[in-house]
Amino acid sequence: MHGMITYFIRRLLLIPVTFIAITFLVYFMLRVVPGGPIEQAQLQIKMAMMGEGGSSGMASEQGELQIPAAAMAELKKYYHLDKSIPEGYARWLWGICRLDFGRSYVYSEPVLDVIISKFPVSIYFGLIGYFASWLICVPLGVTKAIRHKSGYDTATSIIVFLGYSIPGFVACLMLMVLLGGGSYLDILPLGGFRSENWAQLGFFAKIADQLRHTAIPVLGYVMGGFATMTILMKNSLLDNLGADYVRTAFAKGLSENRVLFVHAMRNSLIPMTVGIGHALGLLFAGSFLIEKTCNIQGMGLLSFNSVIQRDYPVILGTLVFLVLIRLMGNIFSDVVWALIDPRIRFGK
Amino acid sequence: MIVLKLVETAVLLTAGHLFTHRALPSLYVKTGAALGFDMKLAPHWEKRIKRFKTIKRGYYSFLIITTLFVMSLFLEFMVNNKPLFIRYGSKVSFPAVAEWTDQLLFFKAPRPMNMKADFGQIGDDEVDYRLFAAARKDPSLFDSQAKALEAEIGEIRRQLAVKPAPRATPEELQDYRDLQEIVPDIEAELKALAEAKSMFAAGKAAILMPVYPYSPREHLLDMPGRPPHRPGNDHLLGTDDSGTDVFAQLVYGFRTSMSFALIVSILGYLIGIVVGGVMGYFGGWTDILLQRFIEIWASIPFLFMLIIIASMVQPTFLLLVSLIVLLQGWVGISYYIRGEFYREKSRDYVHAAVAMGASEWSVMMKHILPNSLVPLVTFAPFSIVGTIGSLVSLDFLGFGLPVGTPSWGVLLDQGMKYLKYYPHLILTPSIALAVTLFMVVMVGEAVREAFDPKVFSRLR
Repeated sequence: MHGMITYFIRRLLLIPVTFIAITFLVYFMLRVVPGGPIEQAQLQIKMAMMGEGGSSGMASEQGELQIPAAAMAELKKYYHLDKSIPEGYARWLWGICRLDFGRSYVYSEPVLDVIISKFPVSIYFGLIGYFASWLICVPLGVTKAIRHKSGYDTATSIIVFLGYSIPGFVACLMLMVLLGGGSYLDILPLGGFRSENWAQLGFFAKIADQLRHTAIPVLGYVMGGFATMTILMKNSLLDNLGADYVRTAFAKGLSENRVLFVHAMRNSLIPMTVGIGHALGLLFAGSFLIEKTCNIQGMGLLSFNSVIQRDYPVILGTLVFLVLIRLMGNIFSDVVWALIDPRIRFGK
Repeated sequence: MIVLKLVETAVLLTAGHLFTHRALPSLYVKTGAALGFDMKLAPHWEKRIKRFKTIKRGYYSFLIITTLFVMSLFLEFMVNNKPLFIRYGSKVSFPAVAEWTDQLLFFKAPRPMNMKADFGQIGDDEVDYRLFAAARKDPSLFDSQAKALEAEIGEIRRQLAVKPAPRATPEELQDYRDLQEIVPDIEAELKALAEAKSMFAAGKAAILMPVYPYSPREHLLDMPGRPPHRPGNDHLLGTDDSGTDVFAQLVYGFRTSMSFALIVSILGYLIGIVVGGVMGYFGGWTDILLQRFIEIWASIPFLFMLIIIASMVQPTFLLLVSLIVLLQGWVGISYYIRGEFYREKSRDYVHAAVAMGASEWSVMMKHILPNSLVPLVTFAPFSIVGTIGSLVSLDFLGFGLPVGTPSWGVLLDQGMKYLKYYPHLILTPSIALAVTLFMVVMVGEAVREAFDPKVFSRLR
């Protein structure tokens, strides 16, 4: 046990190193790549001058538009781009340490507020999606393992492989076409988090409305890990069913159900926890493809839009959360793994 | 008519199958033998392939998907608005073949297109081959065209009969002169029409159109109604909002996606094998440092990086391929290879090779690699599935292949705009994507089963 604790401490100590490397790489990329906020501001000024027409428009056509040096310095200072890349990065990192993420260029609000305002929606869909996939995949995997190589197994395999081959957001799109009104059935709404008149609805109507809006995105989330989780569950249960301790349990004269659910199941669930780290990341960051198709204003869509609008503080801010959650999640899932499976020994 | 098309399609599919699975393999073996290679498979590979063939669903999926892919390389001959062959008088031309070779030799300037005037049509742009083919089948088209022209000329003559008043403004005089000038043009067109009609009647015109005579790059704006059109008789799966045939886009999109995924997988494999091999073979600090590096590299949100780069430079096919390979393509496979090399390097044959003085590179690539191919082969189909998924999502977001490249993601993006009224724009690419990836997954599953069999024994 002692060796394990030092192992995990060593891994925790590596987090800042990895974190700094990733964020510096992205910071570097953002600074080097053209089309940043300064250029966009330049473009806007140019457009405005062209729009005015007349003499000023003519002037800008003749020569490349020059922003006065003083204004340029002001602009750079406003966007915190006046420092060299290493110094700028150090300042940004120091800000992160004091939980100061800077201000969003687009929302003109502190980045942390923007991110926190988007968090609940992503967690809502992420959590429901994660539990839904456990609720679907575990029973499916177990029954598939019990009836290995039967007609049921083959039939469900087809569904599993189909699930693997359709990306989640495409499945959402298909469901929206089929169930979202228009040409076919009209059961579910076309995206969004809640209806517009949500506040006026009664209590039960509120619940129903929320559920109706939840169905399609959650299905998209479930599709993401559906095939891998089901097959992992099935294979690990099959592995355990062939193990000696199961044979012993049968030899003791235990009923099949007891052997299956008390002995084999417990051990088969262990590999399923490996995905927790990744799932945590998805939980918080959301899948921006699903959020975009279903029009959910969550973390995923926020970071996607920030990339498009070149909102550097928000890009970096969401990156901080994403990277930290993923790095911690990996360690967390290893800890969980080591706790529930005494055979696992890290650091040897 | 429909029966004829079906027969043509069946013939094409059979030919494609025979070419892919009879001609190509024997050609491969024969050239290999002629070059002095030993083309006989090692017995354990033969056994694996035999086992693969017994898994019917995977084997048939493999046959179908490879046939379709090889056929898709010749799509210009099957789905195109240009004919395979056209003859008009003494002029003979092979426009579809020319388009195909132009794409193959993309560095050369494309050949000039056939002008309407040279092929008995009116106008000064490219020949309307579908009209040509229609006229070939139904010569009365000329009569209706001629009638329309005659009506037009009659109308102009009626207007010309009224001489401008002596006090007409300069504009009115100019209009009158313009009308006068049009008359000889229309007369010339009428003459050309009559000439074309006689040429067609004399059997001096011939054309062979592809089975599906629409191209994924033309905008059919003269169709009745406004695009997008729903699926119909002429357009199997309708058109999109720029009037481009959806079926043509789907099949060309299949080619784009598959070749993209293949190239990305192969390049990713090359990098992944080298990196993973170095990590597994040398171990120690090399391994630890490279692992850290990969961990950092894999944590960069690669889709975002792609989007940032794509908004800076317009991505071309090659640029997108190299970006996806560099950012993502090689990471997965390097883990597998690392594990294999770790296991294999302690084997006796490796020690033997080292003792005989083989260089490290040659031990890695000539001795260990051939013994670690199983995970490479079994991983390949899933790598293809993943890459196609990435390409579709990139195209869907609008940061994928250059505008105008037929692709499934672009269709999906369009479909989102017309979600309620034109479901075919979502359903057709989704189903094409699902069916294609499903078959690839089936192949992958069967390959895994055949190459790396797992026997579950259990007490009942």
